Amino acid sequence: MKSESIIISNLSKKFTFPVKNKSNSWIKNLFKPEIREVVAVNNISFSVKSGERIAFIGPNGAGKSTTIKMLTGILYPTSGKASVLGLDPVKDRKKLAYQIGTVFGQRSQLLPNLPLTDSLEFFGVMYDMTEEQIQSRIIELTKLFELESFIDQPVRKLSLGQRMRAEVAASLIHKPKIILLDEPTIGLDVVAKKTLRDLLLKINKEEGTTIFLTSHDVGDIESLCDRTIIINHGIVIKDMPTEDLSTSFIFEKYIDLIPMTRFESFHELPEGMKYVLKGANKITITVDSNKISVQKSLKKLLEIFEVEDIDVYNADLETVIRHIYERN
Amino acid sequence: MREIRLAKKIIFTLVKDRVQYNGRLIADFLSIFARCGVLLILYWYVFKLNNGLVNGVTYITIAWSMFLYFTFSVLRLRDISKEIMRDIRSGSVEILLSKPVSYFWYKIWWQIGSGIYPFLVIIIFGGIILFSIIGIPETMSLGLFIPTFLVVFAGAAILSLILYSIVGFMAFWIEDINPIFWMVDKMVMILGGSYLPVALFPSFMYKIALYSPFGASQFITHTVYESWKTNWFLLISIQIFWIVILSILAYIVFLKARKKVSVNGG
Repeated sequence: MKSESIIISNLSKKFTFPVKNKSNSWIKNLFKPEIREVVAVNNISFSVKSGERIAFIGPNGAGKSTTIKMLTGILYPTSGKASVLGLDPVKDRKKLAYQIGTVFGQRSQLLPNLPLTDSLEFFGVMYDMTEEQIQSRIIELTKLFELESFIDQPVRKLSLGQRMRAEVAASLIHKPKIILLDEPTIGLDVVAKKTLRDLLLKINKEEGTTIFLTSHDVGDIESLCDRTIIINHGIVIKDMPTEDLSTSFIFEKYIDLIPMTRFESFHELPEGMKYVLKGANKITITVDSNKISVQKSLKKLLEIFEVEDIDVYNADLETVIRHIYERN
Repeated sequence: MREIRLAKKIIFTLVKDRVQYNGRLIADFLSIFARCGVLLILYWYVFKLNNGLVNGVTYITIAWSMFLYFTFSVLRLRDISKEIMRDIRSGSVEILLSKPVSYFWYKIWWQIGSGIYPFLVIIIFGGIILFSIIGIPETMSLGLFIPTFLVVFAGAAILSLILYSIVGFMAFWIEDINPIFWMVDKMVMILGGSYLPVALFPSFMYKIALYSPFGASQFITHTVYESWKTNWFLLISIQIFWIVILSILAYIVFLKARKKVSVNGG
């Protein structure tokens, strides 16, 4: 039976900051400003088993990065408890750092002017590895992440895709049990994204590393994560297997219509049907199958429009996620 | 042991990094040559007008004192404030806080590593040039000079790092530390003898320079004065006193600052 890697119970984080009140004098604003409070994470609880691949998603400002930063001991929670590999991230920050790896997609941890090997050796020393351990791990990571072609180049000369591979490799130098990634594929092209996802899957399978990532990229979630936790306004609103997520809006169907010639007018639709796209060359309609069956809607559409082709499909994961965000 | 290995690694890695950019070293050298050189020429003229002696001090002493001040500044220990502020404002502080290191110590070793290479090059070459032009003051030829210089140099470096770290940690509260940095830096410059060598200070200013942490962080400039023979012990004791007091303060400020971390994202 797999053990729990991460246990979070009733975790909250509030940020406070001073704000100027225009109706107050500047002296009052300077010495006794109003304090505004933002609840970034609000009483969340969940746990993660060893070896799981978790997508921790949510719209901007939902509390994803704040949660990751509390799990690594960077931020102090306002209330609640977090336990990562049995350690308290705040009290045991350094001890925990030996067992986890972090990648912050928007920040680099590598030494920009020196070859990548120097960064890898540097982190090896930081994690108290012996010279032999460092060298053998560099060989392993070079093979695994295909770093041969650029390992001797200064980091600042690497492409974004190469740099992200290097960032992940650097965060794995000490064989962490968990890797926490904050938007690792941000800004990458489709090929680089796929390469990075494949590599993460590989380390999950070969080294049993637990993956906990935040991302706005549906591809990361679909191809990498077996479980998705959705957070919004600091609250966990869904926690389910990723494959079940796609079917959570199964009642919503999409119908694409392609015209014989051109669509000229757009008639009113019955209840349960809505235009998503009104174009002369294509119309997309959503059908709420709780209100009207797909069969009836198709019949109705064929009465209204002269069509050459019809396509009926379920909402994709991106749409499902958007709906979930919008509902909350 | 682990801390020493990490410190060594940080310093060697940064020296390797800096060695690749000799342009910066040349710029540092020219900057010292320009700033210190102009002052030395002006002081040479003033001393000449005064028959080679001002306030009982010779030109050679003043020249070496100023040279040590400017060379020490090449270590760029003061930049630790701005580095900490940059980390906080950009959110990069999170990268170090997710590693098994002490942020405070890491920044200290990093700052030493950043400046040690230009410092060594400039003190060696600049020292040779100055020695060949004007010679050395008597104090520098005494047996106690090198050991006491090394102790006071280490003390000055530690004190500067602690003093400027405290300024840097203020960024956890106010983000923009530039006004505080400016005040502290000017105090260090004035009381350290950047504009006017401490030996030429009026007596009340001399006392402030002697007993304040700002002046104490630049005590290497005192090592060439004749008085060094008799008051080296007092000056090193003052340095140690401030190192202990400010280390405790820095530690307390850092512990409080850690709780104030609020990085972008989320």
